Amino acid sequence: MRITASKGLLLRIAFGGIATVVAVFLLYLAGSVGLYDLDYPLSLLPPRGRALTTGLLATLGFMTVVMPLGFGLGFFFGWARTSKVWLGRAVATTYVELFRGMPPIVLIAFAVLITIVVFRGNDRIDLFAFASLAGVVALAAHSGAYQAEIIRAGILSVPTGQTEAAEAIGMSKATILRHVTLPQMFRVSLPALGNEFASLIKDTSLLSTIGGLELTFQGKNLSAVLAVGGGNLDLVIIIWVEIALLYFLITFVVSRTLQAVERRFRVPGLEAAQL
Amino acid sequence: MISVRNVHKWFGELHVLKGVSLDVKKGEALVIIGPSGSGKSTLLRCMNLLVSPDEGDILIDGVRVNDPKIRPEWVRQQVGMVFQSFNLFTHLTALQNVVIGLTKVKRLSSTEAERIARFELERVGLADKADAYPAQLSGGQQQRVAIGRALALNPKAVLFDEPTSALDPEYIREVLDVMTKLANEGMTMVVVTHEMGFAQNVGDRVLFMADGIVVEEGTPEEIFERPQQDRTKTFVGTILG
Repeated sequence: MRITASKGLLLRIAFGGIATVVAVFLLYLAGSVGLYDLDYPLSLLPPRGRALTTGLLATLGFMTVVMPLGFGLGFFFGWARTSKVWLGRAVATTYVELFRGMPPIVLIAFAVLITIVVFRGNDRIDLFAFASLAGVVALAAHSGAYQAEIIRAGILSVPTGQTEAAEAIGMSKATILRHVTLPQMFRVSLPALGNEFASLIKDTSLLSTIGGLELTFQGKNLSAVLAVGGGNLDLVIIIWVEIALLYFLITFVVSRTLQAVERRFRVPGLEAAQL
Repeated sequence: MISVRNVHKWFGELHVLKGVSLDVKKGEALVIIGPSGSGKSTLLRCMNLLVSPDEGDILIDGVRVNDPKIRPEWVRQQVGMVFQSFNLFTHLTALQNVVIGLTKVKRLSSTEAERIARFELERVGLADKADAYPAQLSGGQQQRVAIGRALALNPKAVLFDEPTSALDPEYIREVLDVMTKLANEGMTMVVVTHEMGFAQNVGDRVLFMADGIVVEEGTPEEIFERPQQDRTKTFVGTILG
């Protein structure tokens, strides 16, 4: 494992910056040829700014819960699916099939409804907060099912000779997992995990259906307000372009971060082409 | 030092070991030969409990080790193993491959572990490759690192499972040289191999296995020049041409 050289890091940041500038330029080019009106009323700027800021913060907030929780569930159940113990495999397989087999939006709805039914009439808790939390957990569980398979693929990619050699020098099961299997499986799993994270970031938009005040919710809300106020379609387009850009930026930062992690797990002599 | 007593092993319906008994004396190099599928590898794996015998006993210095009260991890520290496909940890350098057993199994400090590991790499002639990763080493070099990894734990005996079978011909010599040196230093070794030159020159005793049983055993001269059993005669005839 090597720490990334700072020169390479600067290059990658520069590349990201250039990509963003190009994207923004293209959008304004589209505006200048009349795809939408650039001269939107400036009076609408502050409320829109506020709405998008709260939306962005909520989306980031959901991410910070859903991503680690989804990864934790994925890691645990992915590992359990490779277990030698029958019960471990059975429970993990049931989890994966169940949560992978339903649309996340249905899972979120179920989680919220069940929470409401169970805690209805209990004055000591904030029912709305509880229901929202259940929705967030349901989304994490959905992603966890996908991540479990990614982790399982990684574990299966480590040749049995590696664990056998570790056993032969007297390593315990826990030591083998920590020092032999994990470092080798992550090398294989990280690209697919990056894919899943990118998808999950955008899936947080599904939490708008249960009143999560995140980016997509704010977009829908602003659009509705503008449509009522005389139907300023140009401004609606701009809002959605801005929301798209924000999602793009978040996803870009996360996937670049994961690629930096991937570089840390690179093994000389076994590396793929430069990222 | 290592005694195998009437060991049986089944893999499902397949009866791989059908009552094998043998003794490995301290300081001797015991060579096991035999056609593939005769149970040689399984027998080796029983001796360090990578495979647990279904029947019979494994004794190390008179202590029965295939006993639920004895941790197999402990047994494996006493008996090192070298594999046909090297099985070096691909994510670690040559040095780290030798260090990891010392720090994570024997719980030595990293300075002490590194000192021992560098000594072991020196012993197998690879001091200059300490920082190379397995994928950057030739097969022969990888196998020598693997021998160093086994020796670092200071085992009572080392088991070799066809250590040169996966090697290109030009790398076989360097591995056999290291093994010969070890045998001359008095290391207790059990070697499954098809290298008849090694068996004749280095082996103190040769044991011929077929179909899960020990067919014949004796000195290299007895087995290779005056085999008694028909199956031994056929096998020896085939491999010596």
